[in-house]
Amino acid sequence: MEILILTIALTVLAIATAILAFRYRSWLSGNRGPLLLSAAAVFFVLAFLVLFYRTPGTDIGVEQPIPFSHRVHAGVKNIQCRYCHPYVDYSNNPGLPPVEKCLHCHNYIIANHPWIKEEHRYYNTRTPTPWRKANYLAEHVLFNHQRHIRRNLACKECHGQVERMDRIRGKYFYMQFCIQCHRRLNANLGCWLACHS
Amino acid sequence: MDRRTFLKIVGMGSVSMAVGCTPDPYNAPRPEKHLFSLIHAPEDMVTGRASWYATTCRECPAGCGMLAGNREGRVIKVEGNPLHPVNRGKLCMRGQASLQGIFNPDRIRSPLLKSEGGWRTISYAEAERLLLEKTAQAAGSGDNRVRMVTEVVGDTLLQLCTDSLAQWKSAPPLVFEPFAYESLKTANELAFGVKGLASYRLEEADLLVAFGADFLETWLSPVEYARKFKQMHALRDGRKGRFIFISPYESLTGTNADLWLDCRPGSEAIVLLGLIREALKRGRPTGFSRKLRYQLQNSASAYNKEKVSQLSGISIQDFERVAEALRRASRPLVLGTGLGNGGPNSLQTNVAVNLLNVILDPDLSLFDFEQRHRVEVAASLAEVKQTFRKLQDAPPDLLLLNNVNPVFSLADGGKIEEIIQNPAIFTVSFSNFMDETSAKADLVFPVRLALESWDEYSGKQAMVSTLQPAMGRLTEAPMLGDLLLRAAGGEKKPTGGYKGHLVARMLSRGDISGELDWLKAVQHGGIHQPPAPKRYKGRAGGPTAEKIQELFSALEKPQSSDLVFAAAPSLRFFDGRGANRPWLCEIPDPITRVAWQTPVLMHPDTLKQHGLNHGASIQIKTDRGELSAPVYQTHSVRPGMLVMGIGQGHTAYGRYAEGMGKNPLRLLPPDTDPRTGGPRFFTGEVQLAKSVHKVKLASTDGSRSQQGRKIALTIGLDSLEDLKKRKLSGLTMSDFPLVLPLPEGYDSKRDFYKPHDHVGYRWAMVVDMDRCIGCGACAAGCYAENNIGLVGEKRVAQGREMAWLSVERYEDQGDAKKLIFLPLMCQHCDNAPCESVCPVYAPHHNKEGMNNQIYNRCIGTRYCSQNCPYKVRRFNWFSWKWPEPLELQLNPNVTVRAKGVMEKCSFCVQRIKDAHNKSKNEDRKIRDGEIIPACVQTCPTEALSFGNLMDPNSRVRKLAADPRAYQIMGYLNTKPAVFYMKKVTQQV
Repeated sequence: MEILILTIALTVLAIATAILAFRYRSWLSGNRGPLLLSAAAVFFVLAFLVLFYRTPGTDIGVEQPIPFSHRVHAGVKNIQCRYCHPYVDYSNNPGLPPVEKCLHCHNYIIANHPWIKEEHRYYNTRTPTPWRKANYLAEHVLFNHQRHIRRNLACKECHGQVERMDRIRGKYFYMQFCIQCHRRLNANLGCWLACHS
Repeated sequence: MDRRTFLKIVGMGSVSMAVGCTPDPYNAPRPEKHLFSLIHAPEDMVTGRASWYATTCRECPAGCGMLAGNREGRVIKVEGNPLHPVNRGKLCMRGQASLQGIFNPDRIRSPLLKSEGGWRTISYAEAERLLLEKTAQAAGSGDNRVRMVTEVVGDTLLQLCTDSLAQWKSAPPLVFEPFAYESLKTANELAFGVKGLASYRLEEADLLVAFGADFLETWLSPVEYARKFKQMHALRDGRKGRFIFISPYESLTGTNADLWLDCRPGSEAIVLLGLIREALKRGRPTGFSRKLRYQLQNSASAYNKEKVSQLSGISIQDFERVAEALRRASRPLVLGTGLGNGGPNSLQTNVAVNLLNVILDPDLSLFDFEQRHRVEVAASLAEVKQTFRKLQDAPPDLLLLNNVNPVFSLADGGKIEEIIQNPAIFTVSFSNFMDETSAKADLVFPVRLALESWDEYSGKQAMVSTLQPAMGRLTEAPMLGDLLLRAAGGEKKPTGGYKGHLVARMLSRGDISGELDWLKAVQHGGIHQPPAPKRYKGRAGGPTAEKIQELFSALEKPQSSDLVFAAAPSLRFFDGRGANRPWLCEIPDPITRVAWQTPVLMHPDTLKQHGLNHGASIQIKTDRGELSAPVYQTHSVRPGMLVMGIGQGHTAYGRYAEGMGKNPLRLLPPDTDPRTGGPRFFTGEVQLAKSVHKVKLASTDGSRSQQGRKIALTIGLDSLEDLKKRKLSGLTMSDFPLVLPLPEGYDSKRDFYKPHDHVGYRWAMVVDMDRCIGCGACAAGCYAENNIGLVGEKRVAQGREMAWLSVERYEDQGDAKKLIFLPLMCQHCDNAPCESVCPVYAPHHNKEGMNNQIYNRCIGTRYCSQNCPYKVRRFNWFSWKWPEPLELQLNPNVTVRAKGVMEKCSFCVQRIKDAHNKSKNEDRKIRDGEIIPACVQTCPTEALSFGNLMDPNSRVRKLAADPRAYQIMGYLNTKPAVFYMKKVTQQV
C-alpha cells in the first residue's frame, strides 16, 4: 500500500515540477534550465530507485504458487519448524511437507478458502506443488542440516526470523557466510570433510 | 595495429571480462528454481538419505542378491545383499551396471507397433488391447497357435507363462539362454543321472583343476565362485590351495591359476583320459562297478603320457606335474569346460571330468546336487533350433519373445531373423531395448525391468530370492506377470495382480506361512536358510560301460589346422546383453586393457608367421562369413588360436552398442553338437588377411611391463619366511621399507617436508594382490558411486579415460603368460607430489590424511598430474554428458565435475562423512570397518580393506605390519596410504 501511495506522490510531484517549469520558463532561461532539469532528473531517478529497491515491503521474497505465510504458521500459530520440515535433525535435507500434511489441518481450518481449494486441486490431481526456491546454495556444497541442528544451532541463525516473514526472504549462501561461523565456533574447516566432496 | 585499435580491443576485452565474471547469483542460470513437494510422504523415504531395498540381480542367470539404494525416488547405486547366500554382499561389474539398464537413454518408453512407414508409437492401453485381441484370436483358431520364447526367469513367472499358454491351448514356453551348458548337463546326466547343473564346494577343495571353466567371469555363478575360489586359493597360515587351468586360451580365470597349460583345442578329453589312467593305476576303490572300471581302464589305456603329450601339445613334464598334484591332493576337484569351450569333444571332456571326480572322491563331497543352478532350465540349442524350425514350417499366429535376442546371439541369427519377419506370425517382443530381434518384431511391448518389478528368481534350487520394485517407474510399462494375468488369467484372477499371485504361490508352496513371513522375505531379499546339505548317494542311472566305450572310442582328433578361431564369453558383456551399458564398454577388458572394442587375441608367434603386428587390423574369414578386427598380441592364447570376446558387434541395441566392435558368432558353424545339442564356439578352416580398415586400439595400458619399477610385486610361497627376516631401510629401488604415512614415519634425514598431524583418523587402504582376480568389479562400483564421466572410444584412444580406479595389468618379466593385476587408485600420499606443485592449493592434505582435490580451486594447470608418479589423476578435458535419463543415476552426494578440472579417487569421502555423521550422533569414534568405500564394498574376493591407520587394532594397521605389505614405488618416499600385499606365487 505504501508503495502505491509513494508512487502516486512521486508521479504527482514530477507532473507538478513539469507544469511549474513550463509556467516559469522565462525565469529558466540561460543555464538555469538545464541545471534544474539535471537536478530534477537525478532526484527522480534516485527517488524511483529507492522506491523500487529500498522501501520496506519490496524485498519480501519470491511469490509462491500458494501464498503460504510463514508469519501466520510459525509466528501467530506458533507451529514448530519440525512439524513441516521433519527430517531436519536426521538428514541433510529438512524436507518439505507433502500436500497431505497441509490438508491434515486445512480439512478443518478455513477449509473453503479459495487457496485451500487450490491445495485440494493439487491433492486430487496428484500434482506436486511447484514451490519456488527461496534459499540458494551452490550445487557442489553438501550442507548437512542434521549436524547443525544437533549442534543446537537455531534455524534462525541462518534463515532469519521466519516467523516474521509472510514470504520467505531467501538468501544466497556464500562460502563466506559459512566460514565465518565455522571459524568462530571452531567447527570443521576441512574442505572435503566439511562441505565439499 | 595502431594505438587506438589496441586500446579499443583492450577496453572491450576488459569490459566483456568484467561483465562475464560478475557474480550475479540470482540471474545465473540455475537448473532448479523449484522445490516440488510430494502428495503423500512415503514412510520409508527421507529426502537426503538413501533407502535400501533388497532385490535380486537379473543381469545373468546366477541370481545374486542385491540391495538397491534409492535417493528421492530413483535408484542411484546397487550393492550386493550381504545376507544372500549366492554372493554374500558382492556384485560383479555387470551387476553394478544394471542401473544403466533402467536409466538407459535408448530405453523404449512406450510400445511400438510396426506399420507401413516404420515404427508407430502407441499407448500401453492400446498395446495391451492389441495383445489381448491377438491372443484371443490365436487361442480361438486352434491348438498351438501361440508360441513363447523367454529368457531364464523365476519359477513363478515360468509357471505363469506355461499356464497362460495352456489357456491359449499352446505348448509351454521355450527357455532360451545363449549359454545353456548343454555339454555339462548331458555329462551330468550320463555320469550321475542328474540332468542338471550341480554347484561346487570350491572353497573346500585343496586342488582345483579346470578344463576351461571360466568360473571367475561368466561360468554359472561368477561372484559366488570367485569368493569360494579365493577361500581356497588365498594365502592362509602359510599355505594356499592350488589351481591348474588347462585350456587353449587363458582367460581371466586362467591368469589366476598357478599353472596354465595350453592344450590343443579339443584335446582336453585326452588329457583327462591320461589322468584317469594314472589315477586308476593307483588301484584305490572307485565306487564303479567292476565292469565299468574295467571299461574305463580299457578306454584310457591308450593314453599314456607320451600319447597325451603328442596329441594335446602339453609337455610330458607338465602332464606329470598335473598327475602328481592330483595324486598328492587330499580334496581335489576337477571342473569341466567353460562356455566358450563348446568345441570338439566337449561332452567327452565333461564326462571324463565327472568320472575323474568319482575316482578321486567316490563320495563327491564337493558336489552339491541340492543347490543346482537355475540356468539348467534353459533349453539346449538343438531344442531352440528345432522350435524355430517348427515356427518356420508351421507358423503360429502369435510369437511372444520375452527379453531374448537370438538374432544376435546365435551363429545363424540371420535365419531366425527371417522366421520372426514372417508376415504370417505376429511377433511381440517384451523388450525395453530395440535389439536385433525386437527390430524384426511386429510389436515391441516394453515391460518393467527387474529393478521395477515384483518377482521371485532363485539362482539355486533350495532357496527363495525375491525381487521388489526399488524405485518409481520411468515408464508406464506393466509387469509381464500382470500382463499375462490380464490376458490369460480367466476367471480366477488373483487379487493384487502378479504380486498377489506371487504371494499366493509362495504361501501354497510353503515358502512363507503368512504376511509377516512375506514382509520378512521381501526385507531380506528372500528366504536364505538353505536346507541341510545332503550328500550325494548312489549313482542310479549312472554310466554304463557300453556308453563309456562308445563315447571315448568316438573321440575326435584335436583340431590340427593351423588356425583355430574361438569365440569366448565376455566378462563385460556376457552374451552381448551388456553391450549397451556404457560403463561396461568404458571399463577395459582385464586382460587386454582395451575399452569399447573387442580385439582378436593372438600369440606373437602366430602374428609373426602371418607378418602382422600388434594393433594391426585383420580380416578373418570362415565359410560362414568374415569380419575385420584389430589384433591384440598376447601370450594368453595358444599359438594358432584366434580368440575373440562375444558381446559387441550389434547392429541395433542403442547408441552404445550399435556399430561397436564385431560379432564373432557370425563366423561360427551354425550346426549343433550332435551329442549335447550345444553350440560350437570353435572353428578351424580360418583364413587370415590384412584388413584395409584401420582401427586404433582404445588401449588404457601404458606398458605391459613394470620396467623394473617395483609396482606390482610377487613373492614365492617358499620364500615367505625369508621375507619376515629381511629388514629394509634404504631408499633405492631394490631396498626400500614400508613407511607409514603418519608422524612416526617422519625421518628428518629423508624427509624434506614436515610430517602432517592427523586428528583422530588417518584413512588408509590395503590391497591384497593375492586375493585380487582382476575382475574389475571395483572399477564399476567406483563409476557408479562417484559420477565418473564416460568419455567414449575415441577419447579413450586419446588417453583421456576418467576411471578413478583402474585395475592395472602387468606381464611377468620372466613368463609373459603370467599376468598380475593391481587395482590402482589415488595413493593419498603423506608426501604427496601433487600437493607441492599446485599453484592454487587445489590438492590439499586434510586432517584425516586424505588428499583432497578442491574442484572449485582447480584452474587446470595439470601440474599435479604431471608430478604424480602413480598417474591416477584424471583431467576433465570436456564437460561429460549423461544423456537423459542417465543423469538420474548420479549420486547427489558427489559433485559432478566440469570441464577444466582435475579429479581423482577420494576414498569415497562422502561415505567417510556419513560415518562421521553417525558416530557424532552416537557420540563415539568411527568403528573399524564401518566405512566401506564402493570398491571395497563390491570386491567379490575381499581383496580390499579400508580403515584408520591411527588405530593400532584396525585391520589395515595389522595388515600393514604383514611382511608382504609394501608401497608402490616406495623408494620415491611419497609415503602412500595405500598398501599392497605381494601376490604369493607357487609352483605346482
